[in-house]
Amino acid sequence: MRRRVFLIAGIVLVALVVGIALVSLFWTPFPAADTTGGRLEGPGAHHLLGTDKLGRDLLTRLMIGARIAVAVGLGAVALGAVVGGVAGLLAGFANRWLDDTLAALLDILIAFPTLLLAMLVVAARGASLGSAIVAIGLAMSAIVARLTRVLVKRVLAMDYVTLARTSGVSWPRIVTAHVLPNIWPTMAVNLALQFGLAVLAEASLSYLGLGPPPPNASWGRLLQEAQSTVLTAPIGAIAPGVLLVVLVVGVNLLADGLRDVADPTRRGHR
Amino acid sequence: MKKQRIALLGAAVATAVALAACGSNSGGASPSSSAAADANAVVQVGSLYEPQNLDNTAGGGQGITEAFNGNVYEGLFRLTDDGKVEPLLATANTVSADGLTYTFTLRDGVKFHSGKALTSADVKYSIEKVLAPDSKSARKSSFPEIKSIATPDPKTVTVTLATRSISFIYNLSYVWIVNDQAGNLSAKEDGTGPYTLDGWKRGSSLTLKKNPSYWGTAATNGGVVFHYFTDGSALDNALLTNAVDVVTSEQNPDALAQFTDNPAYKVNDGHSTTKLLLAFNDRVAPFNDVKVRKAVSSAIDDKKLLQSIWGDHGELIGSMVPPTDPWHTDLTGVNAYDVAGAKALLAEAGHPNGFTFTLDTPNYDPHPTVAAFVKSELAKVGITVNINVITPDQWYTKVYQNKDFTATLQEHVNDRDVVWYGDPNFYWGYDNPQVTAWIKQAEQAGSEAEQTELLKKADQQIAADAASDWLYLYPQIVVASTKLSGYPVNGLNSQFYAYGIHKG
Repeated sequence: MRRRVFLIAGIVLVALVVGIALVSLFWTPFPAADTTGGRLEGPGAHHLLGTDKLGRDLLTRLMIGARIAVAVGLGAVALGAVVGGVAGLLAGFANRWLDDTLAALLDILIAFPTLLLAMLVVAARGASLGSAIVAIGLAMSAIVARLTRVLVKRVLAMDYVTLARTSGVSWPRIVTAHVLPNIWPTMAVNLALQFGLAVLAEASLSYLGLGPPPPNASWGRLLQEAQSTVLTAPIGAIAPGVLLVVLVVGVNLLADGLRDVADPTRRGHR
Repeated sequence: MKKQRIALLGAAVATAVALAACGSNSGGASPSSSAAADANAVVQVGSLYEPQNLDNTAGGGQGITEAFNGNVYEGLFRLTDDGKVEPLLATANTVSADGLTYTFTLRDGVKFHSGKALTSADVKYSIEKVLAPDSKSARKSSFPEIKSIATPDPKTVTVTLATRSISFIYNLSYVWIVNDQAGNLSAKEDGTGPYTLDGWKRGSSLTLKKNPSYWGTAATNGGVVFHYFTDGSALDNALLTNAVDVVTSEQNPDALAQFTDNPAYKVNDGHSTTKLLLAFNDRVAPFNDVKVRKAVSSAIDDKKLLQSIWGDHGELIGSMVPPTDPWHTDLTGVNAYDVAGAKALLAEAGHPNGFTFTLDTPNYDPHPTVAAFVKSELAKVGITVNINVITPDQWYTKVYQNKDFTATLQEHVNDRDVVWYGDPNFYWGYDNPQVTAWIKQAEQAGSEAEQTELLKKADQQIAADAASDWLYLYPQIVVASTKLSGYPVNGLNSQFYAYGIHKG
């Protein structure tokens, strides 16, 4: 039952941020580029959360930041799932030699710090939302691939799969009928966790100035911009920080709850 | 999986609270009880500019100018904190009627820290060192062509120029006179100044102590330690906890509140020579059209921008010449903020619906914030700005060397640098033959009045042509403990004379 509470809390927190992101597509309190506010106005009736140095509405920028965070999370997870999933499946089905090679490559890729990899991608492609998604998605794909490989191998070692293989069932059929249904619950939980990591990675990149270029209002950039004004206008640093925590904690609770609901190996442990 | 989750949460929380913790130190220095200055007290200076090496002709950077200029090394002339040039190691100089031959008489009794007496050979060596092919001196290109340097006797130096140069004496104030026997000076020193080098811990601090056998008035303190920081908040905290007595250049106006309200500190608003430019590439469309440049200049509210970045500090400029340069005229009224006028100019120039351009933006503060402001201002007149964030290295190669850009943001730190508009090959590519001629004539002028007159004309022309958009002039903010007095407040060209500081 306690687990169910986590799941619901997770859904609520994530829905809150995703809701903000969706609303920002249609409506924000002010236009994104509006600089008519005063310098570092405090929270008030006109600007609910106050303004930044340039007089831009903080709430507007936070809403756009939510959009960027969700977009990067979804984009990176999609890229990581496709690239990592395919690589993991291949390695799982491959002969010994190819499997060892792929595994070694994945280990090397995993040993690379995500931020270092991201810097390489940004250096090659220039700083943009797309670069951030590609960089984080690529780093993630190595982790996803390694997990997929292990899960696939476990399924392939099952007796009924061996039976299917010896009775001549085709590879694609084995993948769709036996492998995917068995591995997706664990994959889903892992991808949800990776979503949280991707959001944090994007915030770090933006904080370092390697994320989407200004005037994009990524939360990491908001934190960076608020750093110099933290003594006079602390809300500028607190608000994006809190939202970042809400989203990442929400996603983690959601993943935790999902695992108990979806993972067949854990059913009955409740 | 459990472990990973905890680490994840930890990271998120840490990101959120780390900033809030920054600079939250509320402690302050207690006001000094003793009124009298202690001639042996050591002044602790906090700076963001660590030297790369100890030689200003080998790429030592602005940090070594700050620590050594006037303190360890001296020139034939000195640029004072209020911008005047006065004799230092030279006691007298005469100029020939054709303005090409300068004769300097050296001061008596000057000794290098190694004990050797100063002679004309050292002066010749020092000037040649700045002009050598491998010299990385920032001032190298400002020097006129020198035909010969003669040393008729140990106290006399005669320099013959190929062309007249009214700025020659001024430029000599940047030439450190070094011992010609000293060899490589990138990790040691041998100057004539009021301090000697006592130690240099790379990445941390540089210590100077009083020179007991200085030729002039001894320093009013026992020594100076320059402490180097890479983070402004850490530097502010060092000042709040008495680890340093003075911050040479405060870069964050929002950190000042903790000092202005505290009687133990004094915040000094001096003059800087650092200008922030929106530099157009005047060679390429659409900025080869003067109307477009004027329109962009008038469409940006510089006053609001300055206020956004610097609060109540800094000042507006209408051209490349800051108020401390002798040929300053107030040109802030030229191409002043006027959105309707900007739209009309754009229509005249054939861009009634605006256009799109890429703004190459250095990735460090304040450029990205300024770029966002410029983008939102120009959107109001229909111009779309694509912000392209680049590193300082990329800026140097792409913009400065290859001139492969449409517009860029950049800070220009030197004084008297309006003369760059006389060079059509400079990165911004401003090419007005009349201005080029005026600036050339100014350099060869017979008197300072004539030079000033010509440079004023050139300055007014570049402003009228909107050769660049000069957004604002940085403030120079020195924050010091009230125990200190006698420190420089203008920091011209990042020099910081420490010998007159009293610490009580």
